[in-house]
Amino acid sequence: MRQTTMLFVLLAGALSLALFSVKYQVQDLEGELVDLNRSIKAEQQAVRVLKAEWSHLNNPDRLRGLAERHLGLDQVRPEQMQTLQNVSNKKGEATR
Amino acid sequence: MSDQDLLPMSEENTVLTHEDPPRVHFEGSKKSAMETGRNRLLVTGMVVLLAFTVVGGRLITLATSSPDADKKFARATAKPNVAGRGEIVDRRGVILAASLPIASLYANPQGILDADEAADKLTEILPDLSREELLVKLRGKGQFVWLRRNLTPQQVYDINALGIPGVAFADGERRVFPHGRVASHLLGMTDVDGKGIAGVERYFDDALRNDGRRVQLSIDLRIQAILHQELTSVVARFNALGAAGVILDAETGEVTAMVSLPDYNPNDAGTLQGEAGFNRVTKGVYEMGSTFKLLTAAMALDSGKVSLQDRYDARKPIRIARFRITDYHGKNRWLSVPEILIYSSNIGAAKMAMDLGGKAQKAYLAKLGMLRQSAVELPEVGTPLSPARWRDINTMTISYGHGIAVTPLQMAAAIATVVNGGYYRPPTILKRDKPKPGGEIIHQIFSEKTSSQMRNLMRLVVSRGTGRKANVPGYKIGGKTGTAEKQGNGGYREKALISSFVAAFPIDAPRYVLLVLVDEPKGNKSTYYYATGGWVAAPTIGKLVQRIAPMIGIRPVLEGDKPKTSKPKISKRRRAPVKAAFVPFSTKSVERTGAR
Repeated sequence: MRQTTMLFVLLAGALSLALFSVKYQVQDLEGELVDLNRSIKAEQQAVRVLKAEWSHLNNPDRLRGLAERHLGLDQVRPEQMQTLQNVSNKKGEATR
Repeated sequence: MSDQDLLPMSEENTVLTHEDPPRVHFEGSKKSAMETGRNRLLVTGMVVLLAFTVVGGRLITLATSSPDADKKFARATAKPNVAGRGEIVDRRGVILAASLPIASLYANPQGILDADEAADKLTEILPDLSREELLVKLRGKGQFVWLRRNLTPQQVYDINALGIPGVAFADGERRVFPHGRVASHLLGMTDVDGKGIAGVERYFDDALRNDGRRVQLSIDLRIQAILHQELTSVVARFNALGAAGVILDAETGEVTAMVSLPDYNPNDAGTLQGEAGFNRVTKGVYEMGSTFKLLTAAMALDSGKVSLQDRYDARKPIRIARFRITDYHGKNRWLSVPEILIYSSNIGAAKMAMDLGGKAQKAYLAKLGMLRQSAVELPEVGTPLSPARWRDINTMTISYGHGIAVTPLQMAAAIATVVNGGYYRPPTILKRDKPKPGGEIIHQIFSEKTSSQMRNLMRLVVSRGTGRKANVPGYKIGGKTGTAEKQGNGGYREKALISSFVAAFPIDAPRYVLLVLVDEPKGNKSTYYYATGGWVAAPTIGKLVQRIAPMIGIRPVLEGDKPKTSKPKISKRRRAPVKAAFVPFSTKSVERTGAR
């Protein structure tokens, strides 16, 4: 009788200790989750801003202006386009 | 048994061990009371046991279930709430409209301690706010008043640093259009509360706002930008009132680009003034002029009542009712069907339509979606104008695009049907899959043969007819000019033109149908003061094709321009006069005429 009682008292003590620590662990994890969610939200907002900016910077008119100003590029003319076959026929010149 | 056996605790009873519990017996009423007690205990025990079993079982299921099984519980805490108005992207995923987080400043006037000081400090950071208005707001009676929407992060930081009691920030979002004017009419706009008020923003407002869904359009931003630029330049060059341009995927009916000028900057509501908000491509209805002759020819050939070899007498104007139908590029002789298109003969087209018959013409137009509103996914859709009673005179004028007004989008869709093998697909601004066999039912309106004949005819118009200015080296473009006089003051105004060009390229296997329409262009020195479709709109088509073709991987073919077989024969003798095609035939004595 006494042994059984002792056993159960010990078990109850151990379990409540375990419960106590698990509860605090869960609380910590929940705090961490809230922090993570907050930073995910912040990152997602940042991604949205960056994506919009990326799209803005890739505006075709802007790119064309940059290519004309800094690279001296102009519109492709039909005679500038060749097939790979035509290129390889001209030996020597093609390797450049 | 008597009472003595129960109550007196004798010495013998107290020394009894566990192994030998006392056996107690009751009789009579005592016995029944004991039985009741035992039963109650048993029932209570059972209930408690059952409860623990349930709790235990639940514990086991929770402990052994996988984390994914109860997603609905998990999400309640784990979802990072970033839902906002959905994005609008082009067919390649480039963002056309997005919502960005932004803070707005508000005040609770009851919480303001010193309105003067607060107003001084705030105007220092937000110099565009008027101090007087601010004071009125801060001394107000209410609990809430907006001070300023859409602050920059720096402004938010500065205002926070002031530490004024009674003012606070509300998180909000602001709609941004990274490409500005390029697709203004298509995208539309949102109001200050983030509600769509025009274009795609309005049509898909529910999906964008409530579900945060992403809407993918059929637009290719690169092609859209090219169209926007070329139209802007043609409007400037000819000092036109405006212009409309649409590029349609010939096979799927997807709108690849759509521009209406004048336009506005959707990022700045102040630019939305007057005509700027009007989408000419889907809302405007126009008498298209001679581009309609393509439809007339396609119908006539497809019906079997007219063949390519048939010839029509175009020597004399047609007199019907109080009208005279004359030719602008008059030949004053018999014309074959190809020549009617090449020289854009109104007389020939009218006679061809009479051979076809008004009933058949109306039926074809109905099948091409020209007699009712287009089902395109935009709130701004115009209703075509067509005659209530379809008389002979209507059949004749409609044959060359007068007496019927349709939207440029409908016209482009009809031409796509003509060139793509005869299959009509209603135009859409949403990305669409390639047609699958057994999928959606697609109506074939013209036969493959008619379509092939029409492609050859369209090529002829560009290679040696009124559309020669659309010709560019290396690319095979087919098309048709159109010049219509605008109506006004109870008649047609000869100087106010709608000049257009509709084209398909590459014409032997069309990928795109292009339509350019310029509203009231003024001819200038470089065009010898002509403002017709052939002078104004055709060169724009050529430029568009030259810029778009390399982008979509169409290789130029430079070794001479030889249309394929089955092209209609035109003898040398007849070919010669084409050079004079741009000399206008005098129409001074004519009360009114239609297309040129």
